[in-house]
Amino acid sequence: MKQVRNVNMEGETFTRMMTSGSVEPRDSVLLELNSIHKSFGTKEVLHGVDLVVKKGEHVVIFGPSGSGKSTMLRSINLLEEPDSGSIKVLGTEYGPGVQGEARVKRGKPLELRRYVGMVFQQFNLFPHLSALHNIALPLRATKKIALHDAEERAAAELESVGLLPWAASFPSQLSGGQQQRVAIARALSLDPKVMLFDEPTSALDPELVGEVLAVMRKLAQSGMTMVVVTHEMNFAREIGDRNVFMEDGYVVASGGRDFFDNCTNERAQRFIGSVL
Amino acid sequence: MNTSGVNFRWSLIWENRVILLKGLGTAIAVSITALIISLVIGLILALARMSTKRAVSMIASSYVNVFRGIPALVSVIWVYFGWSLLFGHNFTVYQAGVIALTLLYSAFFCEIYRAALIAVPKGQREAGLALGMTRLRIFVSVIMPQATKIAIPNIGSMYIGMVKDTSTFAVVGLVEVVRVTQNLNSINFQPFVLYTAAAVLYVLLAFIVDFIFRAIEKNLSSPPSGTLSNVLTKRRRERIQSLIAKKEQ
Repeated sequence: MKQVRNVNMEGETFTRMMTSGSVEPRDSVLLELNSIHKSFGTKEVLHGVDLVVKKGEHVVIFGPSGSGKSTMLRSINLLEEPDSGSIKVLGTEYGPGVQGEARVKRGKPLELRRYVGMVFQQFNLFPHLSALHNIALPLRATKKIALHDAEERAAAELESVGLLPWAASFPSQLSGGQQQRVAIARALSLDPKVMLFDEPTSALDPELVGEVLAVMRKLAQSGMTMVVVTHEMNFAREIGDRNVFMEDGYVVASGGRDFFDNCTNERAQRFIGSVL
Repeated sequence: MNTSGVNFRWSLIWENRVILLKGLGTAIAVSITALIISLVIGLILALARMSTKRAVSMIASSYVNVFRGIPALVSVIWVYFGWSLLFGHNFTVYQAGVIALTLLYSAFFCEIYRAALIAVPKGQREAGLALGMTRLRIFVSVIMPQATKIAIPNIGSMYIGMVKDTSTFAVVGLVEVVRVTQNLNSINFQPFVLYTAAAVLYVLLAFIVDFIFRAIEKNLSSPPSGTLSNVLTKRRRERIQSLIAKKEQ
């Protein structure tokens, strides 16, 4: 198999098209978390967290380990079922509902997850499938399309992250950065309305972080709505339209593009100072 | 003729090769039928044992603990004679053998599958869920292929055990290797020669089984390797290459 090794990520044009069919204007609310409570055993890790994400917005969530960032992110697509609280995506409510509020009709998790793409810290590619079929399998499973069409679409997605020459490779034959790029392509192939990133570069060797951030940067530029949990503060500063600092299961402070420079919260300031 | 006056008639083996191999064929037929059924029941038991419903998991784990402890000889006598006495229905010896093996080995396969299913990382299921796949689809297309790969070497060892356990079914009259050997011996009085032949047949089969399971294992490794997978995945690989070529034009 011939493989072209020198694919230049930076020089390539990003071919992703924005998902069609969405009718909301840019400023409309796409995703809303309302009073999310979550406990593991007797320890409550989320004490009623709220979050609003507008269409096209890039929200960065940061904070020390154990602050509940990942749990909050994972509750957005109900990988972590909250004890109470509501997740509203495109007008439909999901999750158990806010305590004491009248119950409205709630959507199914499966339906919610088809709007929400997610990228994991450990990539979670399927090791028994080639890069191409890692993308083609969920496409076939969720969109009920023919194998041939799924493979075509998967190839296009791989091309957009610069990995088409590696289509036949298995995850074990790819570097961490390449695996994460396949994982991003896999999530994007399903045309999500919002993409969640759970510390996407934390498991990578330092020299592989750049290629993943480059893909994410292009995705952000294309207008995709993104919620990113990360420790890469420089990247956060670069793409973060809104920055949310969490600690001990609370959103302690949040702000816009100037947050890192003009943050007034003392704890957030100290954290930013320690990691920047 | 040797000094102690014992005459080893090794030619007996060749003279009776057809009937000996027929016995081996019966052993293989019974054990493979039982293998297929117990793999299915074992998987169901494993899922039951991992169920969050306590009653379901208790029933499965009781079954495993009881039947793992029963010897094949006891099992087949119980099925063949016991069932007939209790319910007045007679199984053929072939059926009794398959049922006896299935009862025992479902319990072993349950444990093998359970260990393999637990060994698949949690992130695999989460990735499937996050991608909007149904639980059933995740199980079939993501979890099972990986669990099977983990389970295959143990299933292979167990299958060799199943073949050997068919030897006890001579007691109910199943004409497998040992029964054939007993019959030949009662005519020829050559136990050493004939039982050596039986041993060689079992060992030979064990080698073949090992070879087959290794091929399956190779095919399930990632990336798949070996001739079997080369043949099986040829078209898929060609499609990927043609897609790459098409896009790169």
